[in-house]
This record gives sequence, C-alpha cells and structure tokens, in this order.
Amino acid sequence: MEKNIHMPKLRPEMKSGVLCAWLKEEGETVSAGEPLFEIETDKVVNQIEATQSGVLKKQLVEEGDTVAVDEAVAVLEAE
Amino acid sequence: MEKKPDWLKVRYNQDAVNEVAELMRDLKLNTVCKEANCPNLGECYRKHTSTFMILGSVCTRNCRFCNVTTGHPLPPDPEEPMHVARAAKKLGLRHVVLTCSTRDDLPDGGAGQFAACVRAIRENCPGTTVETLISDMKGDHAALDTVIAAHPEVLNHNVETVQELQQAVRPQARYERSLGVLRYCKEQDPSLLTKTGFMVGLGETEEQISRLMDDILATGCDILTIGQYLQPSPRHYPLARYATPEDFARWKELALAKGFRHVASAPLARSSYKAWEVLEDTHDLY
Repeated sequence: MEKNIHMPKLRPEMKSGVLCAWLKEEGETVSAGEPLFEIETDKVVNQIEATQSGVLKKQLVEEGDTVAVDEAVAVLEAE
Repeated sequence: MEKKPDWLKVRYNQDAVNEVAELMRDLKLNTVCKEANCPNLGECYRKHTSTFMILGSVCTRNCRFCNVTTGHPLPPDPEEPMHVARAAKKLGLRHVVLTCSTRDDLPDGGAGQFAACVRAIRENCPGTTVETLISDMKGDHAALDTVIAAHPEVLNHNVETVQELQQAVRPQARYERSLGVLRYCKEQDPSLLTKTGFMVGLGETEEQISRLMDDILATGCDILTIGQYLQPSPRHYPLARYATPEDFARWKELALAKGFRHVASAPLARSSYKAWEVLEDTHDLY
C-alpha cells in the first residue's frame, strides 16, 4: 500500500523546513526506525526516521527544498 | 546559517514523540524538552524520558540564550503535582527531573509547588528518585529551605555561563547569587547532591571556563554538566563557535582533576540529559 511521508513539525512554531539531504535513494528498502532524510533546524540537523518499513518509491522534493509542515516529501510502498 | 558540524545530528521519530507529547497534553503538563526546543527531545521521548517543566510554560525572565516564552504566567495549577506523579508513573520513570519557568511573580518563587511535586512523586512512585532543577528563587533562603525540606536526591541550579558573560546572557540573574544558591543548599543539607551546568560557545575563554569551574567547586558542588550553546533563533544571543568533541573531553578531564565527583561534558549534554545515569554513577554519595 502506498503511503505519503510528510514533513514533520519539529517544534510548535515550525511552519516549514529545509530538507537538506536524502539518506535513502528511490527504490531502496527502508526499515521502520531507519533515518530517511535530514532537516536542518536552528539548533541541529534532525535525521527523520521512517515510522514504517517498505520501499522508498518516490522522492517528491529535492535536497535543499523548503517544504511546508505536513506536506508530502516522499511516497513509501509500505510492507 | 553556519553549517552544522557532524556531531550535531540527532534522530527524530514522529510516532515516538507523539506518544509522550499526547500524554503530556492529556495531563496538561509542560516539558522543558518542548519549550526549550531541546535537540535531544527525539531521543529522550523515544526512551520515554522527559523533564517536567512545572509552574507553566511562560517565564518572567528574558534570558538571551533561552527559547522559553517571556510574559505574565498563570497562577500555579494545584493539580499539577498529582499530574506530574501520574505521568512519571505512566512513563515508568526511575528518576524524575523537575524544572520550572522562573517565577519572580510568586512570593516563594514557586518553591511550594516544587515541594508539592516531590511529595506527590514520593507518595505515588515509591523508589523513584527526584532531581529539582530550580531557578535562583532570587536567592531567597526561605524559598530554598522549602525545596531543601522536600529533600530531592539532586538539587540542580544552572550557572549557565562564565562570570564575564552573565550580564549579557542572563540579565535578570546574578553570578554570585547562583553560586550562593548552590552553596546555601549544600550547607543546609550536605546529603543533597548539588549539580550545576554551563554552556560553551557564547564567546568565553579557556581561562574564564577554568575560573568558573573553581568558583562552582568552591560551593561544594558534586556534579557538573557542560554542553554546546545552540542558538534557538536569529533573535537570540549569537553563537560564537562550535566547540569540538575533543574540547568537551578536555574540559571533562579538567573538571574531574579539579575535584568534581561527576562530569557530563559533550556537545549535546544538557542539564537533565541522562540524569539517571549520572545519579547511578554517583549513587555512593546518597
């Protein structure tokens, strides 16, 4: 089943985030708990973990893109 | 934004964070993890640990390093002590860390609420240890006596930075007053483990750091935490530099050589980060 992965809200006032790096390529298998992409915030770089296992079917944004909170960043073919 | 060094990467799992965040919301509790935008929130929430921020999420002071909102706080919530105890029980915490917004508007600085929370945890979570990370309570001895009488295992109060940067970084606090809080609490009850912490990366020198350690140690303080200052937003006090993990290792060695009983020194070390492990390490002291 296809499932969208969204830009998380890392803090209450966050409106958008810059996806600074993909840690998985399209077509790669991802296990729940594995880091999928990185978002840089004022304090640190956050490695966002997959909450479900599956195959990363499509990256919907490119590295360096600013993405609104809750907007889809990827499509996962969930197990 | 300056590029973040490799050692400032943290993991974040939305499901794990939501679980703890929902519990806090249901019990109308605040955590300093959330209010201070702590970089370790993802890791700590996943491990079902958090640091309760009692007395509301609005602070009466305006420290330039801190992400907590400044304003006019609400009166203390009489149900808060019971809610804290309930959350601690639900999370299965072995060690509870309580901190607060600074409440200069309250006659006792919030000391009574601290004591009530410690008592509620004692009654509802037997065997759980408690660490109170208090404000300076204006250095008021009667307020501090109230906290001391509740007898937390650890009494923590942060000096935050070297003497030379106090005025610029925490304008409503005083260096001597903070040292006085640590000294007074230790004098009143030598069985209390006292703890403090400071940030690096605000522009302090090696010499100032060394002198700060000496001044802290002279209060009888047992435990020291040293962590990297991370600027919460462009409006906050400017970051001077990122110290390296090697710098933190060197400061740890220096502090231990000076005589501290336990030192947590790392880029992402925070006042309450892995506080339980620190207490375990010093358990022969209490």
